[in-house]
Amino acid sequence: MFEARLVQGALLKKVMEAIKELLNEASFDCAHSGILLQAMDNSHVSLVSLNLRREGFDKYRCDRNLVMGMNLSSMSKILKCASNDDIITMKAQDNADTVTFVFESPKQEKISDYEMKLTNLDQDHLGIPETEYSCVIKLPSAEFARICRDLSQFGESIVISCTKEGVKFSAAGDIGTANIKLAQTATVDKEEDAVMVDMQEPVTLTFACKYLNMFTKATPLSPQVCLSMSPDVPLVVEYKIEDIGHIRYYLAPRIGDEDN
Amino acid sequence: MGIQGLSRLIADVAPSAIKENEIKNYFGRKVAIDASMSLYQFLIAVRQEGNVLTSADGETTSHLMGFFYRTIRMVENGIKPVYVFDGKPPTMKGGELAKRAERRDEAQKELVKAEEAGNTEDIEKYSRRLVKVTKEHGLEVQRLLALMGIPFLTAPCEAEAQCAELAKAGKVFAVATEDMDALTFGTPVLLRHLTFSEARKMPIKEITLAKVLDEAGLSQDEFIDLCILLGCDYCDSIRGIGPKRAIELIQKNRSIDKLLESLDTKKYSPPADWPYNDARRLFKEPEVTSAAEVELKWNEPDEEALVQYMCAEKGFNEDRIRNGCKKLYKARNTATQGRLDSFFKVLSSPATNGNKRKAPEKNGPANKKAKTGGGKFKRGK
Repeated sequence: MFEARLVQGALLKKVMEAIKELLNEASFDCAHSGILLQAMDNSHVSLVSLNLRREGFDKYRCDRNLVMGMNLSSMSKILKCASNDDIITMKAQDNADTVTFVFESPKQEKISDYEMKLTNLDQDHLGIPETEYSCVIKLPSAEFARICRDLSQFGESIVISCTKEGVKFSAAGDIGTANIKLAQTATVDKEEDAVMVDMQEPVTLTFACKYLNMFTKATPLSPQVCLSMSPDVPLVVEYKIEDIGHIRYYLAPRIGDEDN
Repeated sequence: MGIQGLSRLIADVAPSAIKENEIKNYFGRKVAIDASMSLYQFLIAVRQEGNVLTSADGETTSHLMGFFYRTIRMVENGIKPVYVFDGKPPTMKGGELAKRAERRDEAQKELVKAEEAGNTEDIEKYSRRLVKVTKEHGLEVQRLLALMGIPFLTAPCEAEAQCAELAKAGKVFAVATEDMDALTFGTPVLLRHLTFSEARKMPIKEITLAKVLDEAGLSQDEFIDLCILLGCDYCDSIRGIGPKRAIELIQKNRSIDKLLESLDTKKYSPPADWPYNDARRLFKEPEVTSAAEVELKWNEPDEEALVQYMCAEKGFNEDRIRNGCKKLYKARNTATQGRLDSFFKVLSSPATNGNKRKAPEKNGPANKKAKTGGGKFKRGK
């Protein structure tokens, strides 16, 4: 038996918005410690890793480990039926081939339940090594979303270059070039409004706008975003989800070609 | 052509070995393409009102059209193609080639009949069957590819075998052909429909040999024997044994030699002096140029020379050729998107473990832990 009750149902709705554009389907791996999801997009350029710890749920029960393969567009349709202040419960029997979503209105006067078929998914799982990154940049998530949106008008890719002065985002294309520089915030009043750069060595990498813009769909989940970069390895974009876990996106860089 | 009924058999016994993908998901991949197969395809398919395209003085240009545009389409999608042309046919293919010549003669007769009767549909049908690829066609295409900066090579013998050699050595990611015997030659990943027209909206079929073998429970040697039983280009098969019987027999006996010992010869009679051993050798040790000796290089297209060749000599529209060149330049100068699987190791594919709901504890979650274990809560920043 698996059951997870989340008082802040809106959170699950936001998580859904943050992954459904990137992934068509994904497996939710439910274990005693919480729910994990790892999946790559179809072209294997980016990866979503979602972690929801059991402590973040109002009630969490998972007797046996369970892998639930879900079609995310179907799941999204169901979650759209929940109001923002609803309490959401996910339930499944052991070895079941369906999952049930229960929505309770705050005053309990309305209870709806939706049952969804699960699917068998054939997805590759990747082992992600623990890495010390050369640059770790923290900035307000809304600012990052804005930068990605603005720069994607100029070209298909964004160059992120991090030095000890700060971080520079740039793009170039047919209409011209664009550069946005962020300096480290000198005095920190509120941590989530600050730009913080922790750098061991400078890094410059190029990434496809298309994916960055899909990652920024997670902006409502957290006021702050953390970018981790090292030379020639994938970028990590992390949004912490308060009290419950995080969502991390990995994105392979664009690289110059050696056979040309 | 190829192996009789192999693709259907794979779909039946090893469905998870076949994946359908969009062309854009193959960006950054190097792919070896069986050029002789494509030549046929284009000569047959690239037509206007049933006739091949020709230049002003009547020379066929369908194949150039096909190679030019379809190559650009691949390059635009970030694929790096390398074309492999057929060399001389292996002597064992004599029988098959004789059969093809026979069919051609038949088509010729039918065509004459259809022309007499004035049946346009039939005329079209039979004239397509009469398509023959000449040496000149091949040379023209090679000249075009050289000008486009696309690498190509001529195999000493069969193109599929050479493609397989490149793929096995990791020089290319996959082999693109419609010919299923590329798998018999040991191609790890086979792509079908890659050179089809965009208008047909055919998804690309990706067949992974390792998954085929794994799911069918065969070794590569057993797989080769299975292909010979199904019917290949090099020798006859046993009359009366279809795909279903063939795989059962191989799974039970593990080789053609063993199978012959126990075969009910009253029911099925293998061909006299059946040269299956030679066919086997052809599949296992085909005549190829070692991949180590092959160097693949993608160059800048030579726009002026291309215009000169395609427009002045072959009568193509200059704007279109220049446009195509622009696309080639552009694709060369954009950085290639990397893939996550080249940075992180694939741990397991849960589907190969059968029904996931039967054994989820063993596979999925255990692996997940190993993978995210370190990074789960530690990296607090």
